[in-house]
Amino acid sequence: MLGNLTGESFLIAISGIVIVFIMLAVLCAFIPLISRCVQMVESRGRKAASAKPAAPAAPAPQAEPEPAGGAYGGEVMLIDVDEKTAACIMAIVSHETGIPLSELIFKKIKAL
Amino acid sequence: MEFSFIGTLQKILVESGFAAFADDPRSLVMILIACVLLYLGIVKKFEPLLLVPIAFGVLMANFPLTGLLNPPDGNGNVGLFWVFYQGVQYAVYPSIIFLGIGAMTDFGPLIARPSSMLLGAAAQFGIFSAFLLALALGFPDKVAAAIGVIGGADGPTAILTASKLAPEYLPPIAIAAYSYMALIPLIQPPLMRALTTQKEREVKMEQLRPVSKTEKIVFPIVVSIFVILLLPETAPLIGMLMLGNLFRECGVTDRLSDTAQNAMVNIVTVFLGLSVGCKATASTFLTWDTIKIIILGLLAFMLSTVGGLLFGKVMCKLSGGKINPLIGSAGVSAVPMAARVSQVEGQKANPANFLLMHAMGPNVAGVIGSAIAAGFMIKVFGG
Repeated sequence: MLGNLTGESFLIAISGIVIVFIMLAVLCAFIPLISRCVQMVESRGRKAASAKPAAPAAPAPQAEPEPAGGAYGGEVMLIDVDEKTAACIMAIVSHETGIPLSELIFKKIKAL
Repeated sequence: MEFSFIGTLQKILVESGFAAFADDPRSLVMILIACVLLYLGIVKKFEPLLLVPIAFGVLMANFPLTGLLNPPDGNGNVGLFWVFYQGVQYAVYPSIIFLGIGAMTDFGPLIARPSSMLLGAAAQFGIFSAFLLALALGFPDKVAAAIGVIGGADGPTAILTASKLAPEYLPPIAIAAYSYMALIPLIQPPLMRALTTQKEREVKMEQLRPVSKTEKIVFPIVVSIFVILLLPETAPLIGMLMLGNLFRECGVTDRLSDTAQNAMVNIVTVFLGLSVGCKATASTFLTWDTIKIIILGLLAFMLSTVGGLLFGKVMCKLSGGKINPLIGSAGVSAVPMAARVSQVEGQKANPANFLLMHAMGPNVAGVIGSAIAAGFMIKVFGG
């Protein structure tokens, strides 16, 4: 025996790290499930909203344009493109189309 | 009454704190230590927001005859620092600090890449190995558990565990935890370079998927339900962390979120710092145990970093080289300093590397992991 070290101490230490791993692993498995459920609920909500006929009498208030997929969070997926090039491409598209960058949504920029 | 100027002067001098130093000159050493800590906080900027109040608490607590630490005497007299300390004693301050951390933290990177959770778990290796080392050095099991939690690189968690398991060792544990958190940019990089190859450090990671607002709102609720039901001892930390995050994400409590991450956390930091510092008196601090705790704390930090990095290497292999193992070292909590170190080291290896957001996943997972590890220790040794 060294100091207060016993066989039980090793057992406690191993149990501790195993429990931390198990709990975080369970959360790790839970998160995609939650995300899928949330995405399903959101897409159903969108479908239901689009299926509703617009009221003919009162003009509907202008809705914020919602990006396809619903889960867009303002990030662009870059595939084989560095951030500097991507920024240039976005600036060029904005300039050529005359649409301000704040109103443009880029989902993916991919090198061909 | 006969008044004598010289006599009064003599009386003032004899009853002053200066004269009382003769009774216990170790207080002078503590005052010197407090000045060194103030220097580190103010000049070297080592976690100044906490180290400055801690150091000033040490300074004040070691002035003789102040009565700052006196408990209530039944006549309505009580020491100011004794009152402040009740917030530590009953784990109020660490929990409120966690509320602020939750309100400041974006769990998006963790939700986007849930496997980061495992890196946060691996980086708790230092807690349990330091626990064993502390036992080997002769510390009782409760104290060893509290020392081990320094390896979680999470000040409030270390303070909460120490206040419950080893209140007499609270000052050295808190000072070690916060000092090493400040030294992360010096402690981690040599280990990161030693344990990873140049090729691994150069790995560029794919951009994270976007995370919807609803996912971010549901996450703190689900984590609270799952973790607290399974390990109720984590309730003060996990509950407050997740409440703070819910304030931030739900979109209807902006004022509460703002208060939690600014005014409230600042106010509590003052009380927490003073309370921890005021317990560092000569009789409790100037011992060999303090030196052992400082060394064990450093080892705990290093071993946690090693645990995260090695698991990062495993994930790098399993993912076919898509995960940069440098993000593993961010699994030690210390938000966001550890993630910044991963970013800096990744960019040194490959200037086109942007690891910050990827490292934030393991970083916040580390906060949850260290709270779970602390909850486990409290459950095992707290009874």
